[in-house]
Amino acid sequence: MPTGGRPIGGAFLLFRVLRGRPARLGIFVLRRVLWMVPVVFFVILITFVLAHLAPGSPWDRGAGRQLSAAVIHNRNVTYGLDKPYWQQFLVYIWNVAHLNFGLSFQFQDQSVSGLLLAGWPYTLTLGLTAFCLIVPVGILLGVVAALRQNSKVDYIATAFATLGATIPNFVIAILLIIVLGVGARNATGGNLWLPFSGIGLDSRLILPVIAISALPIAYVARLTRASTLEILRQEYVRTAWAKGLPERLVIGRHVLLNALIPVITALGPIFAFLLTGSVIIETVFSIPGIGSTFVTAVNARDYPMILATTILFSFVIAAVNLVVDILYVVIDPRVRLS
Amino acid sequence: MRFDTFHSRRRLISVGAVAALALVACQPSASAGPTAAPASQQVLQVNPTTEPNTFDPGQQTYSFEGAMGRSAFEPLLTAKADLTDVQPAAAESWSVSSDGLTYTFKLRKNAQWSDGKPVVAADFVYGYKRLLNPALTAGYTDPFFDQTIAGAATYGKVDATSASAIDAFLAGLGLSAPDPYTFVIKLAQPTPYFKWVVSLWVAAPIRQDVVESAAGGPFPSTDATKAEAWAQKPATVIGNGPFVFSELVHGDHLTLTPNSHYWGGAPKLQKLIERFITDNNTGLADFKTGTLDIDNLQAANVLAAKSDPTLSKLGKLYPELGTFWLTFNQANSMLANKDLRLALIQSVDRTQIQAATAGTDVPVQTFIPQGMAGYDAALGASQKFDVASAKAHLAASGFTVAQVSTLKLLTRDTTGSRLINQNVISQWSTNLGLNIQLDIQPSHSVHPLLSAAKFDIYGPDGWNADYPDPQDFFDIFTSASCHALNWGCPVLPGYDALVAKADSDTNATSRAAEYDQAQKILVDTGGAGFLYQQYEYDVVQPWVQNLTTSSLQDEYVPGDLSYQATYISKH
Amino acid sequence: MSTSAALLPIEADLDAIEQVGLWKDAWTRFRRNRLAIIGGTVVLLLVLDAFLAPVLEAAHLIANPLKQDPVNLYASASWSHPMGLDALGRDLMSRLMFGAQISLTIGVLVQGIIVLIGLSIGLTAGYFGGKIDNLLMRFTDVWFAFPDLLFVLVLVSVFGASELSIFAAIGLVNWVNLARIVRGLTLSLREREFVEAARAVGSSPLRIISRHIFPNILGPVIVTITFGIPQAIFTEAVLSYLGVGIPPPTPSWGTMIHDGYEAINYAPMQAGWPAIAIAITMLAFTFLGDGLRDALDPRMRK
Repeated sequence: MPTGGRPIGGAFLLFRVLRGRPARLGIFVLRRVLWMVPVVFFVILITFVLAHLAPGSPWDRGAGRQLSAAVIHNRNVTYGLDKPYWQQFLVYIWNVAHLNFGLSFQFQDQSVSGLLLAGWPYTLTLGLTAFCLIVPVGILLGVVAALRQNSKVDYIATAFATLGATIPNFVIAILLIIVLGVGARNATGGNLWLPFSGIGLDSRLILPVIAISALPIAYVARLTRASTLEILRQEYVRTAWAKGLPERLVIGRHVLLNALIPVITALGPIFAFLLTGSVIIETVFSIPGIGSTFVTAVNARDYPMILATTILFSFVIAAVNLVVDILYVVIDPRVRLS
Repeated sequence: MRFDTFHSRRRLISVGAVAALALVACQPSASAGPTAAPASQQVLQVNPTTEPNTFDPGQQTYSFEGAMGRSAFEPLLTAKADLTDVQPAAAESWSVSSDGLTYTFKLRKNAQWSDGKPVVAADFVYGYKRLLNPALTAGYTDPFFDQTIAGAATYGKVDATSASAIDAFLAGLGLSAPDPYTFVIKLAQPTPYFKWVVSLWVAAPIRQDVVESAAGGPFPSTDATKAEAWAQKPATVIGNGPFVFSELVHGDHLTLTPNSHYWGGAPKLQKLIERFITDNNTGLADFKTGTLDIDNLQAANVLAAKSDPTLSKLGKLYPELGTFWLTFNQANSMLANKDLRLALIQSVDRTQIQAATAGTDVPVQTFIPQGMAGYDAALGASQKFDVASAKAHLAASGFTVAQVSTLKLLTRDTTGSRLINQNVISQWSTNLGLNIQLDIQPSHSVHPLLSAAKFDIYGPDGWNADYPDPQDFFDIFTSASCHALNWGCPVLPGYDALVAKADSDTNATSRAAEYDQAQKILVDTGGAGFLYQQYEYDVVQPWVQNLTTSSLQDEYVPGDLSYQATYISKH
Repeated sequence: MSTSAALLPIEADLDAIEQVGLWKDAWTRFRRNRLAIIGGTVVLLLVLDAFLAPVLEAAHLIANPLKQDPVNLYASASWSHPMGLDALGRDLMSRLMFGAQISLTIGVLVQGIIVLIGLSIGLTAGYFGGKIDNLLMRFTDVWFAFPDLLFVLVLVSVFGASELSIFAAIGLVNWVNLARIVRGLTLSLREREFVEAARAVGSSPLRIISRHIFPNILGPVIVTITFGIPQAIFTEAVLSYLGVGIPPPTPSWGTMIHDGYEAINYAPMQAGWPAIAIAITMLAFTFLGDGLRDALDPRMRK
């Protein structure tokens, strides 16, 4: 299924890799944490090599007068770009180990961490709002569909989930803009429409949140439906029905609590995806978050920004996957700690 | 997404004459305008679209940065509203020695920084020396300052890692302050255009104590990081212009407020809000709801505005002082042929480009744009659209259609460049039967290809004036600029000598004649294929009064040269 | 990407005759799935469109997608131009129809790269196991740790914007899923009696993989590829939207959205039509993929 981000699949596959005996949780956690070190190292190495292989230098001007050779040389000295690549790489690793991501090339002498921190609130605003929408809507859709299996409600919910899971968020975004943004504006003579650029705690949030939430909602709804259906078939639920317990109690205590366990572990990767934002949604809606900052950085050959964003994203994804795996082990004692 | 035609942001701009005068004539007269709105409504919202990379005027090298920077910092001189000459700004008067080598600027005694301290000559000496510090690697120093000021010629050769070498270089510069209100600059050779150089916004005074207090004390001249500490957020920036930076919301807007200490009196506007709306559609939407006072429209929105009864009255085309052309790589054996070049040039109907860009790219066949001293439409006769002549030139070149069709047109990956070049190749196909393909490259891959001469034809290449003097244009096509700005390196017999002579010619008449001759050589040999002069379609709310527009302004912010007199009328 | 969930090892000890039965069964099951048939039909139509567009153009039934009409920019729909003209006065419907060519080509060619890398790594790791498996899987893990769109963007900026670099970049980033699935399947297959038997009679690893293992993982591989095609089409559209995709004037849906978005106020359907085309294509491939999975995965047999 097409999606804008990898994290969901990431953790998802890891679930399958890990299975078996319980115990040795501490060693398991330690090993997983240590494993992150080489992963992040190689991510830095590969991105470093690729970023420097890309044609063009950070000092190139779009057009007009270019910097003179002497000025370029002096800039290279200032930013350490005159040194051999391996030396630059070692210096970089050393700095990253001290949480120093260097200075941006594009924004004169601003620290990369400062720029990322300036952009992250926008990404977070979008992500957290979306998360608050995804959890209740996704679960509600899934539970309702499962409880009324094969009813009209189920079909509508399933159709909705299929659309959300299939149509890429960027196409959804464009269509939303055309219908609820431009279309509504033209139809109402500019009186009633949804803005589609920028971000703030107002109506500007609506369209990007819908666009970014469609896939995760569909995913949560499908997962909830499937796991609810499975629980409903369990003996103890049938027993509970047989005992004549009130429906509310059966559904609430026996079905939902158990059905939500796999859903909760799936929310981790979704959360990671929302934390790191979506490059394309931020670009479409002109949101100055870290996703669109990355696109700008690639175009400007701002190596420190490219590297730091990639490292940050990889780290968040890896960390969330780790937490999910640990959670999974804790919740499900059957998982093997290998 | 920007529509600019040849890439991202360009540099400063240019001269005045016909077009500029015409524009000035359109301005409402400053004295008797409509009644001003109450102070609380004196807010002007403009949209330079992009956040400045820095608040240090010396490091601001793009025109959108200058648009914001020159509101907060004031150089010695500024361009006159009609762009025919410079006028006093931070300097109250100036004089040039008879040998043309010494410029003496008398500063205003009542000029003050935004914190109330007086602006003194030492601030200019410090600002200029800072600009010329090789370790700062400012983008605008070379060639304007290092090739004019005495002792600065070795700028590029100083060891930027050695504090003593830098200090020795800076101490040897022809910059001095004989008294607190006199600033003297000695030049290496007579430079008739130097008055324009000191009016560039990068040539601003800088306060040493401000720089050092942000850096946490004095630092060696090699420490470029500390040198910039003061310019990273609005709060630590102290300027001498009519406005002060007051608040930056990353990715959203920058707010400027009046500098109550400004010598010319605080501006009427209580707030100048520079928005960073990259999406042109959103800009237009905000303009329609009145939350944006001035906005630039791109092709599709120009069409939309022109068909809208209200917007069409508020919109107007503003010229930019620059031309755009096709560059032919003359290292290519086919393109070294003059007939082939002229065939390619004469087969392009420039009015089609104008149509494809909603009228914003106005046909031009000369190097010097309309509105600049030295513009003469007659000089472009040999590049006129003429299919029959183009066919004859193609035949005379001796190359077959199949051979010429192997050439590629290098295209920057911007909407504007793509649009224009798709039109150009389709005209070559229609008029000459050529099947020339586009070679589209992301912006940052284009420059390495150009400087390594790894291209056939490149376009639209172009230039927008840094200041209104032809010198700024003619040095592009000298052989010294080959592979630097002169990507095609055309062979132009006599051009270099004429330009060198004109650049330091203090006689205005003979200087103009020399530049004319040089331009004729360039145009007639098809050294480049001149296509159009860019105009910008901007919409301005009816309540914005006394906007001083000129072709020196940033393409997105008409009136950015000075908001001193601008105000909001009752509405 | 979530396709893997359903792709559990298939029961593999089937002889040749049983395999024929399997494919026949699969077809029967597939035919009963209405959505899959619809999806398959739409995919067929798209393929047909991609092949027929040049023919229709030659017959003057649709306009030349590159022909410009600079005086009628953004002309609205008319009989001769059912979807109107674009920013350069080119026929939008014709460009949309030709756009299917590039999308399908990308979708299919990228799968070629993915199959090449994913299959060889997955089969090698799964069949040989042990250290080789460990090494290859750790390599896969590192690759997997990259945020994918970021990675594609960096790759494209390294390779430069061209069709070839788009294929390569999307392919290089997306093989991991297939490699993991293939490895898992191979790992379980190599313990089966028929593979043990082949090994006992001295068959070479290459022969065992190609004759005994590969045929048995073909189903899941086909399903993964079917889901991979829309993923690749989507990624191309995103890259083109960001302005680093297929170079113009070649019509590509992503580029059309990119260019059309500039005119969203003036002519919203400039971006709308290609967006709808992408949405329909994605749905069609997903329905087809779902159908194929249900048909080819015996676990679903009830």
